[in-house]
Amino acid sequence: MKMYRIFTVIAVVLMITTINVNAQDNQAEELMKKAHLALFYSADDGAAEVTMKIVNSKGKERLREFTMLRLDVEEGGRQDYYTYFKKPHDVSRLTFMVHKIPFETDNRWLYIPAVDLVKRISADDKNSSFVGSDFTYEDVSGRHWSEDQHTILREDKLGDRAVYVIESVPKEKYKGFARKVTYVDKGHFLPLKEEYYNKKDELERVFTAERVEEIEGIQTATLRKMENIRKKQYTTVEFTSIEYNLGMKESIFTERYLKNPPREFIK
Amino acid sequence: MLKAIGFTALMSLMIMVSTGNAGETYITGFMQGLYGGGLDADNPTESEMTASEARLQLRLESFSDAAEVFGRLDFVYDDYYQPSYDWELREGYVKFRLGNKIDFKIGRQIITWGTGDLIFINDLFAKDYRSFFSGRDDQYLKAPQNALRGAYYSPVGAFSLIFTPRFTPNRIPTGERLSYFSPLAGAIVGGEENYFEGRLPKAKFKNSEIAGRFSRYFGSIDAAVYFYRGFYKNPTGLDMVEMTAYYPRLYVYGASLRMPLLGGIGWLESGYYDSRDDSDGDNPLIPNSSLNSMIGFERQINSNLTANVQYQNEYMIDHDVYSANLPETMVEMDEVYQLMTTRLTQLLWMETVTVSAFGFYSPSEEDFYGRFSISYKYTDALTLAVGANIFDGNDEWTDFGAFKKNDNAYVKMTYGF
Repeated sequence: MKMYRIFTVIAVVLMITTINVNAQDNQAEELMKKAHLALFYSADDGAAEVTMKIVNSKGKERLREFTMLRLDVEEGGRQDYYTYFKKPHDVSRLTFMVHKIPFETDNRWLYIPAVDLVKRISADDKNSSFVGSDFTYEDVSGRHWSEDQHTILREDKLGDRAVYVIESVPKEKYKGFARKVTYVDKGHFLPLKEEYYNKKDELERVFTAERVEEIEGIQTATLRKMENIRKKQYTTVEFTSIEYNLGMKESIFTERYLKNPPREFIK
Repeated sequence: MLKAIGFTALMSLMIMVSTGNAGETYITGFMQGLYGGGLDADNPTESEMTASEARLQLRLESFSDAAEVFGRLDFVYDDYYQPSYDWELREGYVKFRLGNKIDFKIGRQIITWGTGDLIFINDLFAKDYRSFFSGRDDQYLKAPQNALRGAYYSPVGAFSLIFTPRFTPNRIPTGERLSYFSPLAGAIVGGEENYFEGRLPKAKFKNSEIAGRFSRYFGSIDAAVYFYRGFYKNPTGLDMVEMTAYYPRLYVYGASLRMPLLGGIGWLESGYYDSRDDSDGDNPLIPNSSLNSMIGFERQINSNLTANVQYQNEYMIDHDVYSANLPETMVEMDEVYQLMTTRLTQLLWMETVTVSAFGFYSPSEEDFYGRFSISYKYTDALTLAVGANIFDGNDEWTDFGAFKKNDNAYVKMTYGF
């Protein structure tokens, strides 16, 4: 009888703990969703000049300059991206377009003007490097929050900002990371830092929002850095001339404009 | 003279566009040295070098919201067996939108369409195989055409029409740096006495080229239908009276599909080649009508390795008639021509090194062409490349067997600005 009571107590305690954990999980997922929307879905559309600096372990720098357009077809869902390369010389005038469809394979197109070639690109591997940088395609367009299991580890400070520290573990086996720790700003919910761990739980890559500015009333990470710890190299991405809510239409993100850059947005 | 007029017109247009509007103008370009040596001792060409040239390309781009002008001008110093300077306007066009639905691109331009990777069925725009075989950059595979391009976009799909007033043939090896198979001589020939040019159709309106395409998306599948009215782009007709080769009249009707498939991209394209000067198929000196089809698939093997495979099949429509009318002295072509290709591209060192191999193999003609290259981007501006073009074939009269004495290896250095 006594035994029975003990079991009951244990069972009740376990249940309460589980409920508590679930509530916490929901809060963690809600925070990660907010972080995702703050970083990847600000406003309805956006345009920016981007300067990407890739620095290898010997300190050698490479620069990429491009204009990037983004349209949110659904908030938190489908998105269209358009990239017009300016530098270096061998990719200048090249355009690249992505129709991002969460949980499905993206559609990607590349237009090489020197040969007037529209190429469709197989987009199976989202962990491929984006134009030779430390950012992957997925880092550029985001990984849907519901693909990972999130847990709030603690509340903390990062510099002078109050943050939630959240751990994310992929629900299904995933080669991008085994575990990710995100520092989400308590004020504007931008992820200020992300640590990516591999299967052996070694820190592989670190993302940091180096500079956050308010643009048209929207908190925007205008300088971002991805450091590859193992390769001892890093890439910074700086966004300038940012404009939001330009009234872009889906028709911009078609083959017609891939071949004829929309000059009202791209100078 | 014509070149000079075109150049002046382009420059004035550029100045007009750039000064008339609050537009922007950019000048960019590159310098490049390309040196290639033949690997076959018995190539019957004047020079053992398959390439030795220094090139300066200037690109001028000027645009406003309304229109865009683009020019790409190459200056080449070529020290073939006697040094020479040359220049070519690679592109020089003005592009503008008319209302919401119509785009125009007028002038000298590079044009490409279709789904194949280095296999062209419905793309009957000029190619430059001399450049392709000797290690020049991929952008030189396409030769410019002076053309008028219009496109109309409707909710149903996009319709493009390209009018090329003067027929623009492919640039093929003609004995200067690269030898070729001459059906008249019955052998691989080269050298000054064998320089050869196909006889072009006369510059008349009826000899212009017209190409059209209607394309649309069904979800993520892109589908297109094509037509072409013009001439075979290679001089595949033989005039036994004048002992010369010429470009027989050709109409093409085709279609293509391209779609995401099994984690990659798959494509399918077909075209019916209507040989207008030999509609009965009984003239062995003109290509027979044919049905030309291909299927291809590309996908990433891993983050840095991409591979593709293609299979092409060309079926001669009236092989029996052709065969019956073939003189005994001529080699009989197969009813079905088959070609398989594969491309492997490996990126290394944060995409600064590209290792590439492309192989063409025809099981029906038993010939082969391989393109191999390694390029290294030392800095954003400076690229070094080495590569090789290897041809082989059992017979000299096949597509690639004809060039089997042109095996070459090259080095290339490019500085961009």
